[in-house]
Amino acid sequence: MAIAEVEKQGVGVSMLRKEDDRLLRGRGQFVGDVRLAGMKDVAFVRSPIAHARVKGVHPPEDLRSQVVTAADLEGVKPIRAVSGLAGFKPSDQPVLAFEKVRQVGELLAMCVADTRAAAEDIAARVELDLEELPAVHDMIAARDKDAPLLHEDWGDNVFLETFVDVNIEAAFDAPIKITREIKTARQSMAPMEGRGTVAYWDKRMEQLVLISGSQMPHIVRTGLAECLGLGQHQVRIVSPDVGGGFGYKGILLPEDICLGWYAMRCGHPVRWIEDRREHLTAGANCREHHYVITAYADRDGKLRGIDCEATVDSGAYSSYPFSACLEAAQVASILPGPYDFPSYRCRTWSVATNKCPILPYRGVARTGVCYALELVLDAVAREAGLEPHEVRLKNLVQPDQMPFDNITRKHFDSGDYPEALQRAIEAIDVKAIRERQKRGEENGRLIGVGHSIYCEQGAHGTSVYSGWGIPMVPGHEQATARMTPDGGLELRVGVHSHGQSMETTLPQIAHEILGIDISKIKLVHGDTEYTPYSTGSWGSRCAVMAGGAVAAASRDVASRARKIGAHLLQVHVDDVELVGGRVKGPSGSVSLEEIAHTWYRLPQNLPDDVDPRGLEGTVGHKPKRDTGTFSYAAHAAVVAVDPENGDIEILDYVIVEDGGKLINPMVVDGQIYGGLAQGIGTALYEEMNFDSSGQPLASTFADYLLPGPTEVPAPRLDHMETVSPYTEFGVKGIGEGGAIAPPAAIGNAVNDALKDLGAELVRTPMTPRRVLEAIFAATNADSQDHSDRGGRT
Amino acid sequence: MKPVNFDYARPKDVAGVISLIGDESRVVKILAGGQSLGPMLNMRLVQPDLVVDITGIEELRQVEDRADEVGIGGCVTHSDIEDLRVADVTRGALPKVAAGIAYRAVRNRGTIGGSITHADPSADWISILSAIGATVTLRGPDGVRSLAVEDYMLGALEADLRLGELLVSVNVPKLGPAARWGYYKSCRKTGEFAHAIGAFLIDPDRDVCRAVFGATESKPLVVSEAGDLIGRTGERDLAQGFDSRRADELIRDNGMNDPIDRQIHVAALRRALEQSGTV
Amino acid sequence: MVQITINDRQVSGECEPRTHLADFLREAENLTGTHLGCEHGVCGACTVLVDGVPTRSCITFAHACEGARVTTIEGLDEDEIAAELRTALSKEHGLQCGYCTPGMVVSARDIVLRMEAPSEHDIRVALSGNLCRCTGYVGIVRAVQSVIEARRARGIAAVPGGGRDRLGPAGSGHAGAVQENKRERAAPAEAAAATRAAQVSRDDNWRPQTTLEDSFTVSHPPEVVWDFFGRVEEVAACLPGASLQGAAEDGHVEGQIKVKVGPISAEFQGVADITRDETAKAGTIDGAGKDKRSNSATRGRIRYVVREGDRPGETLVELSIGYTLSGVLAQFSRSGLVQDVAGRLIAVFVQNLEARLNHEAGGGTKETAPESAALDAGSLMSSVVIGQIKQFFARLLGRR
Repeated sequence: MAIAEVEKQGVGVSMLRKEDDRLLRGRGQFVGDVRLAGMKDVAFVRSPIAHARVKGVHPPEDLRSQVVTAADLEGVKPIRAVSGLAGFKPSDQPVLAFEKVRQVGELLAMCVADTRAAAEDIAARVELDLEELPAVHDMIAARDKDAPLLHEDWGDNVFLETFVDVNIEAAFDAPIKITREIKTARQSMAPMEGRGTVAYWDKRMEQLVLISGSQMPHIVRTGLAECLGLGQHQVRIVSPDVGGGFGYKGILLPEDICLGWYAMRCGHPVRWIEDRREHLTAGANCREHHYVITAYADRDGKLRGIDCEATVDSGAYSSYPFSACLEAAQVASILPGPYDFPSYRCRTWSVATNKCPILPYRGVARTGVCYALELVLDAVAREAGLEPHEVRLKNLVQPDQMPFDNITRKHFDSGDYPEALQRAIEAIDVKAIRERQKRGEENGRLIGVGHSIYCEQGAHGTSVYSGWGIPMVPGHEQATARMTPDGGLELRVGVHSHGQSMETTLPQIAHEILGIDISKIKLVHGDTEYTPYSTGSWGSRCAVMAGGAVAAASRDVASRARKIGAHLLQVHVDDVELVGGRVKGPSGSVSLEEIAHTWYRLPQNLPDDVDPRGLEGTVGHKPKRDTGTFSYAAHAAVVAVDPENGDIEILDYVIVEDGGKLINPMVVDGQIYGGLAQGIGTALYEEMNFDSSGQPLASTFADYLLPGPTEVPAPRLDHMETVSPYTEFGVKGIGEGGAIAPPAAIGNAVNDALKDLGAELVRTPMTPRRVLEAIFAATNADSQDHSDRGGRT
Repeated sequence: MKPVNFDYARPKDVAGVISLIGDESRVVKILAGGQSLGPMLNMRLVQPDLVVDITGIEELRQVEDRADEVGIGGCVTHSDIEDLRVADVTRGALPKVAAGIAYRAVRNRGTIGGSITHADPSADWISILSAIGATVTLRGPDGVRSLAVEDYMLGALEADLRLGELLVSVNVPKLGPAARWGYYKSCRKTGEFAHAIGAFLIDPDRDVCRAVFGATESKPLVVSEAGDLIGRTGERDLAQGFDSRRADELIRDNGMNDPIDRQIHVAALRRALEQSGTV
Repeated sequence: MVQITINDRQVSGECEPRTHLADFLREAENLTGTHLGCEHGVCGACTVLVDGVPTRSCITFAHACEGARVTTIEGLDEDEIAAELRTALSKEHGLQCGYCTPGMVVSARDIVLRMEAPSEHDIRVALSGNLCRCTGYVGIVRAVQSVIEARRARGIAAVPGGGRDRLGPAGSGHAGAVQENKRERAAPAEAAAATRAAQVSRDDNWRPQTTLEDSFTVSHPPEVVWDFFGRVEEVAACLPGASLQGAAEDGHVEGQIKVKVGPISAEFQGVADITRDETAKAGTIDGAGKDKRSNSATRGRIRYVVREGDRPGETLVELSIGYTLSGVLAQFSRSGLVQDVAGRLIAVFVQNLEARLNHEAGGGTKETAPESAALDAGSLMSSVVIGQIKQFFARLLGRR
């Protein structure tokens, strides 16, 4: 193999993806594609009411054997995800509800039949006797003294309250004080494939097997075993191809437990495939924040302090494993973002409401805090009469401060934030936009430019999560590398790809070290039986953690291959090197194929003292510091707002990002494009509305609008590459970032467009109606009573 | 998300349909392309005893060329019209509007008769056909009757069908050589249901001047003598003759109280005039 | 039994009329490359070729495709355009998780086949029936564009209409008539539902989701009008589709109300509790009902106050009608459509109430009372207005 060719497959190369061919031919295997003999289908009876006492669940007599209710589930524990933070109130999420239901869509019974249609027929015949209770649908009203209680023994509806104060009083005398009330909508992660589970009891292995599209198979195994009272060796989770996850597919669902329980008793496989209505109304909800945020600044734009009260609508239950405070508890620590200022105060509430539990979604908490902070910074700029980027440049952490501990003691590993912003400002050409704004548009539209900048903490480990004390604390990651007798390589990792291209990128890392052609490197993942324990794919951690582990395991195998190679070449190991898949000595070389062949097939040719661990190793990785990598990006957007019908069109979009060393730049670009599309969804389209009785009002994709090809522009990307000092190759996690900044950049651009009208939007999504309401409120201040909101909608 | 178990029939002619749908003792639904009914069946919003598939009926998949109109069979699809498999007599209006209905895969099965019978206020056909002045032909146990499209729609999801009646054709007038039309819809994203529609037709040779405010919460508001509203014929820049205030008053008088709704509906009609001949 | 040619193979199989084409392909034929993403025709993951043109297989019934030619992603392995698209999609990183990909390839193939020289925007519009949550569409659009450009450069022209030459829905018109089966359908849970009708819990804190207020004057003294409201069966007769089971006892009555709008029918079975305050001449009817079939439920409260009118012998009736809907029927953002029904219902109720009161006030008897208007064409004019009132209140009350 020529060395030039070798170089084209390693770290930093845009290799085409190994997983593409099967997916392009419809040969992927997703959970719904699994076929097992005798398999039956499950449909659930779900609560149509948000808050009610369960007086009875009555299956039809003739079908009693095909229906499971809470009364049947003997020995099954509720799902309990406790946080160790002081004052956290735990909730018990029942697998099948019995005393109360606390959200629409909560499970009341499981129905089993030959087909899903027949199972739904049974479900339709199960009679529910529910006594409706007043519902809590508004997270702010939920904290009122007389609000109905979801969990009566709590005494209120607050999962957790946190408070941090760093000398906020010092900022009070600042000449500029800007306060905004900002809201982000409840959303749905909406991967194109919903959840799904096939469960059966493997008699030979005496093991419950759950085939379930999961980002975090090992965590699901742990949680499932605990709820069912099984030893972990009795549970195997297989995660096949996963059709997107974005956070939703890491969660242990009550459905999983129901199917597992039933499969242990019924003698045949059962399957449940979540349909879109279930997904939207009962399961996949995320991101509903409310902020009252105040910025204190000097006239020159220098920030003196940020004061914030943040509330997160956590829904009815604390979900496993991330808990009900995954968003709010993070808000306080990440709100300051990449800015350096001296005073800070933040109080947060994680509030229980009669809605779906809030679950992690790409950019967890960051999308909301970025929107809140960046909007208020633009308001400061308008007040100070400065360009928004001038205010940011005054306050961003400088490259010479790196590594930098910010006001909430977040440890920034590296980066040049001002440079990223400068590049974005130049690329979007703020000056030209200002000229264009002066000229005006022929068609009456209003042009605006806006930008935002954020940092994305990826692969954060023990020191971050242990303080939080949820059921899952990450810290280290293992990988197995095993050469095959033909000189190929198997990699085994406990993380799981749900679109991130790991079947390509992790082999690229192994290739970088071993030089084996990546067509001969197979990634084994998505099966607890075959892979090292891992918390899984979340938190922008796979490239750093699994990538680091693959590098370590590959080196481990390489070191022993070198020894065998040196023996075969009859030279000392110090005199050989592994290059391009060959062990080279002073006067000859031997290929890894030959070395593998010797180890497995011709052991008689090995030295007597050969290392018996051979060409296989499971090795772990722990970064030099586990506070995480800090990737970041500056986003800049130009929008045209139609003041007549409220339409917003994105005319131009620029992203300057820094993800450290990129393993596969093509894949990184893909993550940014996809993240941007989701961010645009957050900014302009996606909203899970509920009425005041807790009924979800978006049960289809005609109600819950996902951006399509005409709603997402092709952005212009620019990369910086500040390597992390703490990771293998200097990589940083970048999976979530694309989705963090767009609502803020677009929101600032819209407000820039509307500034001459005196209108300002401070909530997502920025729908045409909200645009028009803001304009109406600002221009007809007397004809409508919006005075209490200062013309903001 | 699977439908209830229903029975299925596919009659070979209209008479066969009429005999099935006149039965009040059970819930009977007519299925054409199924692009609106299909989702409702899957979600069990509709739980019929019998589904009558009318797409096997040759008569409903034909087009009849008459002296001053064409009769388009109820089962002709949006893409049949978009692709000009149905000869256009509307100076491009119908093909262009057809091309903007939902998505191509939906247009390949969704039918013109099914769309207007479903009577969704936000759908395209109901508004443009009202503007063009099309009629529908209904056939039932008591014979045949004909209605203007805007009269056929009674309200949201309600068409004027008597027991046992079926829409057999949509009759589209042949427009004069000087006819001008326009159509504009406000959507949040491509293929989404419209929040406001404006449509008009000025056909001087036939002395027709009509304007339509569509995508209200109910049937479209049709102004059949719209000369005062949208200006006289012959003006090159049609939008110049548009009386926004009158339009606003008109829809307010017809119950549209919300000023934002009024604004986007007035704007939609004005843009239909501005962009005359395009969609 | 249904016969379809799938990927050039004649297939015949048993399937229920309710089985959509996607389930038939996936479950009966094990062609799992066709994916289900929404099952309501929006996301495009299930797109297959039927008679050569893209079709939503989740909202097309297998029986409606009798005799048709169906091509799934598995049948495009050797297809020239699909092969070029696969190469281009991989090169442009046009897929990540791969779930939307089969439907995307089918739609993209149609665009390549059909559109001669589309702009980037044209391609985006044409692709807009296929949602992708991973890629932001960047690579997909580039891939489609590159394949079109390469083919046109090689002199391969577009085929307008994708070569389709017949009218009517794709897949239709290949097979003869089918008689209904006349088999017995399992009865829905009606009997059971009747025994477990909804209960009204007396809860003073309950607030209806939507409230309409209305008032009208009748030319007769308040005592007569007050009496009328005491006869619950007459009040009920004014509500279109409503009927009572038996007489009211201790202010408690059972009954049902049938509501039909377009293809949707709901039949709410329920109870009502009536309270009357003689001194204030005010009363409340609290009702609750459950739909027999959909597990949807509704709850409503009618409050009425009877006052002296401006002129002697006249009565002013003030009505406040509130309701809340829950379950499947409530869970749409286009609530205009479902709520419009309620709005229309209430409008007709008020109209009937007024007519009946005036009739009785004018000396008419219950027996000769005017036929209550049903929910039909005649009631729709007012529904527009009521709808707007309803919206106004929704806006007023819905925001803090």
